[in-house]
Amino acid sequence: MILPIIPLLHIFLGFLALAWGRSARATLIAGFLFDAGAIGAYFAGSTWFEPILVGGWGVPIGIALSFDRVSLAFFILAAGLELAVAVYVWSEKRRPYFFMLLNVLFGSTYALVFAQDLFNIYVILELLTLTSFLLVAYERRARQVWASLKYLLFASFGMSLFLLGATIAYGYTGSFNLNDIQTSVAASSGAPWVGLAFALLFAGAAVKAGIFTFSLWLPAAHSTASTAISAVLSGLVIKMGVVVLIRLHSVLRLDLPLLVLGAVTGIIGAAYAIASLDVKRMLAFSTLSQIGYLLVGLSLGGEAALTGVLAYAVAHGWFKGLLFLSAGECTRAVGSTNIPDLINARARIPLAARLGLLVGILGIIGMPPLAGYIAKGALIGGGGGWSLHALFAVIGIGSAAAFVKLFPLLSLRAGARAETPSRLAALSALALPVILFLPIARGLFGNALPRSAWSGALVWESIGAIGIGLLLGRYLSRRPLRLPQRIFQAEAGVVSILAGFLAVYLLLTAA
Amino acid sequence: MSGALNGFNVAIALLGIGFLILALRRDLIMKLLALGLINSSTILALVSVRFSSGAAIPILPVREGAIVSDPLPQAVVLSAIVINFAILALALVFVMLLVERYHTTDSERIEREIAADERRKEEG
Repeated sequence: MILPIIPLLHIFLGFLALAWGRSARATLIAGFLFDAGAIGAYFAGSTWFEPILVGGWGVPIGIALSFDRVSLAFFILAAGLELAVAVYVWSEKRRPYFFMLLNVLFGSTYALVFAQDLFNIYVILELLTLTSFLLVAYERRARQVWASLKYLLFASFGMSLFLLGATIAYGYTGSFNLNDIQTSVAASSGAPWVGLAFALLFAGAAVKAGIFTFSLWLPAAHSTASTAISAVLSGLVIKMGVVVLIRLHSVLRLDLPLLVLGAVTGIIGAAYAIASLDVKRMLAFSTLSQIGYLLVGLSLGGEAALTGVLAYAVAHGWFKGLLFLSAGECTRAVGSTNIPDLINARARIPLAARLGLLVGILGIIGMPPLAGYIAKGALIGGGGGWSLHALFAVIGIGSAAAFVKLFPLLSLRAGARAETPSRLAALSALALPVILFLPIARGLFGNALPRSAWSGALVWESIGAIGIGLLLGRYLSRRPLRLPQRIFQAEAGVVSILAGFLAVYLLLTAA
Repeated sequence: MSGALNGFNVAIALLGIGFLILALRRDLIMKLLALGLINSSTILALVSVRFSSGAAIPILPVREGAIVSDPLPQAVVLSAIVINFAILALALVFVMLLVERYHTTDSERIEREIAADERRKEEG
């Protein structure tokens, strides 16, 4: 009943923001209150969340929406970020148009997590592309305009591949509905069209999901956007590609491409994060490497592994949002995004921003008992042997080595300036769930959350990885890494999407 | 689908041409034209899938016993056309913004100018 209303309400609030002008910023808070009410109703056992076919037509024509645990996890992630961003931009001067775009962005993420229909997914992904394209370039600086134009070129090309894949699937099954496609795929296992259609769909989703060789637009777009937008893009919008991959994976097992691309993304992303000296660019590359965890976890298959992926996606959304907001506060106080400049002028940074940075860093490098550690335990509890532990350890060491550059910022001496109340509230709205992630995850996943994972061994494993990472980071800080930057230009990015598609196709048909 | 020259194969050929232009030409206007070609090729594929030659148009009323082509792709393709139009229009506006500032549509020169702007900002 309520499922089609939630996204439509947010889009309606968006237009209200345009009409309302001066009180446009209140629409984001109104949207959050509605979402919080919906989440409360869900946990109170409401029957509003039944699956629904919009339009009153039968299965192949009506648009199927449903609310499962994937939807629940991403719904809560989005609602948390919506609150933090709404409070963060409260004291900023923005045109009503900005709030309209943010409302539409959140509305379309809710529509996507409910969607069970390939064409509906395509339309919502395009809507997300357009809104984030406009939000990245909101201030119209030349580098923002160029970054978002590149994003649009790559994303639109990727979406064409996605639509082509959906077309092929429709041609052979006669339906865009994921359940129908699953039945047909199970009946015609190994037919040549299945591999081609799913490689195309995978490539389209991967462009949006921040996967290496597909998402070379990501570092420029996420590092040039303004603070609040970077937090939403890195915490939430990237995950929407992952949601589509989860849906595709439930129709046809994509284990091999997910594993290979996850490992590549995790390691290359971490290497670029280590080499980067710009704080926002480093956070953007760190997002790439964290997506690697999600893909590798997803490739394990099974319900327990999916729980781990959902837990990590929620945790990453919140601590990456927190990191972007606190880093934004640091750069606002100092006037530069260059890490050495920030360290030189660290006395000017407010204490709240430094504390937010501390919580975010401890969360992302997996310090027990914060969000990153809990979620990593849930991922490892999903199965997999020593090779999985080794891969996670390598990515974890890479993350710690990248974030060691920010450690000089973390002194707890009182700052010269106090933080604005609204920004302080936004930072704490994200810092609290990162610190208290265990009870939240228990409430979200219940008994599906594996308890055996948090043995003493995992504590030592995480602390060991952090320690090695810190040493590696210290060592590398005296020998700056030079990695190729030409691959982020427009021409190379388009070629790499096609190359990635071919790789996925070969891996799918080889399996 | 019958014969080599059906809608789907033509669509794949157009997609290939569009991809080559998108990857090889550095001019932004050419890139956007290529993007339009790619998007149109997927629309052609969507319209021609499940199309059988000689079938009637799927508009009511339909003659008794007539073969009608599948109406669903032809209905959903409208959304795809609108989306592609919106994307091209917005992209052109952004190209205009870049041209106003750097007086070029060459992607590599824009990349160089932006890097130079960055360096100037760091020094000054």
